[in-house]
Amino acid sequence: MWEHRCIVAVSGVGYSQVTRSAEVPLAAHALQAVKAAVEDSGLAMSDIDGLATYPELPASGHAIVDGISIVSVNCMMAMLKLPNLSWHIQVETVNIGGAVQQAINALLAGACRYAVVWRAMHNPRGTYQNLPGTYAQGPSQFTAPYGFGGPAQGMAVAYTRYLERHHQDREKMATLAVTQRRHAHKNPHAYFHNVPLTREDYLNSRMIAYPFCLFDCDIPVQGAVALVLTTAERARDLKPRPAYIAGYGQRLVFEVAGRIGSLSDYMQAGWSSARLTWERSGFTPKDVDVAQIYDGFSASVLYGLESYGFCKEGEALDFIQGGRIELDGELPLNTFGGSLSAGRIHGLSHIIEGALQASGRAGERQVKDVKVSFVGASAPIVQGTTFIFVNEPY
Amino acid sequence: MTMSDWSKVTRPIPVPNEWTKPFWEAAKQGVLALQRCRACGYFQHPPYATCVNCISTDLAFEPVRGTGTIYAYTIMYHTGDARFAPAVPYASIIVELDDAPRALLVGNLLDAPYTAAKVGRRVEVVFQQLTDDITLPQFRLLGGDLDSSNAPQRRTG
Repeated sequence: MWEHRCIVAVSGVGYSQVTRSAEVPLAAHALQAVKAAVEDSGLAMSDIDGLATYPELPASGHAIVDGISIVSVNCMMAMLKLPNLSWHIQVETVNIGGAVQQAINALLAGACRYAVVWRAMHNPRGTYQNLPGTYAQGPSQFTAPYGFGGPAQGMAVAYTRYLERHHQDREKMATLAVTQRRHAHKNPHAYFHNVPLTREDYLNSRMIAYPFCLFDCDIPVQGAVALVLTTAERARDLKPRPAYIAGYGQRLVFEVAGRIGSLSDYMQAGWSSARLTWERSGFTPKDVDVAQIYDGFSASVLYGLESYGFCKEGEALDFIQGGRIELDGELPLNTFGGSLSAGRIHGLSHIIEGALQASGRAGERQVKDVKVSFVGASAPIVQGTTFIFVNEPY
Repeated sequence: MTMSDWSKVTRPIPVPNEWTKPFWEAAKQGVLALQRCRACGYFQHPPYATCVNCISTDLAFEPVRGTGTIYAYTIMYHTGDARFAPAVPYASIIVELDDAPRALLVGNLLDAPYTAAKVGRRVEVVFQQLTDDITLPQFRLLGGDLDSSNAPQRRTG
């Protein structure tokens, strides 16, 4: 087990207003989320001395303007002018989970005392993906000429292999979409908080890239979320109950850019991240009371459940049936609605929900008696990270 | 009508670089050639700086037989990209070649209904000229029907 388990904790969390597309510059959303997280902790902004983010804009072909379409660490520093700032970082190889892990490391090293991590996501007006122009450069020269544009198709190919190799039925995914939507009805920050989704809606929805229909794809939004990390000792003196970090892991394998469609690449990447998380925390999948697993596309949840070890390969579509992923089920899943129903703010929404469930602060959607809360943030193959939060140090 | 109409599609044109030039030069000659490690014999695609199997940098392109199996596929219905909208729905496939296990090639399934795309089906390469400089390797079902008005010229490598 990890000697540093439960030394760092999540304290406050914050959400910005979420809109379907950009109405105000993204910096306003990021600032709103960061202020809310600091306030939730009961801290003053001047207490914050560490900053971390992952600022990527996943919508391709749009201008990267700091403050409008991304919110970098520099942008946040320019806005906040923190008098006691002592550490900051922007990560690249793994998504926002990497920024959280770096902040944990900085707190363990004593490089800062109260770190804020935010993820701000821009949804440009008009077309989300402005696809490659006349020419296909770099890795896209082997994919774009064949009509591979946005990420849906790139993610869909492995899913056909999954379904046909495992003799599975895509209609079973309706359970995931509908259950997550019901969870979103209990999350006031969810984009689809008030919008119902039935099994029939899922089954009758238009196909995007087979096997993905509309409701297999998350909903792009403009918004931001943030959390405050500090040492467990300091966290106990703050307003919210802490969520203790028992272990983490990150995707440790990567395949050559431009290689798409490999199902085994997903499984290896997911396992590489989860293995260390289980080892560090000393828990196994059977110990987990609630899980958040990244769902940019629905199939990522299946790959996550299987590669993290919650069920066997090829069984996830059956595993999610029969009420198992409901709030009172054996493994409540994506209890805030996930990216499918709460909105695409990458993995930090999942991490925040994992922390809230561990600290008993998830309100109407709180799962009973949570001791061990698991998070798989971001799609395992691309930028995956995994976390375990617990309600009490052990 | 389950055949995709490719006749009005404008495909992005690949831009060869230092790693990929030999692939496109071979394709122009109607030959499918992949990067192969001279140390361990491993074929890989897309081309890379090192052998992904043994980290050797001693790599060269070699012709491979153009037969393989559909490893995965998707059928595109979304018309977000206007250039490909005329062909929707169409099948984009990932092919594992007989000569290059684990090297996954992307193509479209030509000369067959898009519903014919299934994991495990046998395919063979065909070549589709895009510009004077660029010819795309594409795939059709092995022994498949060529009675299509927009069938590309077949020049197997």
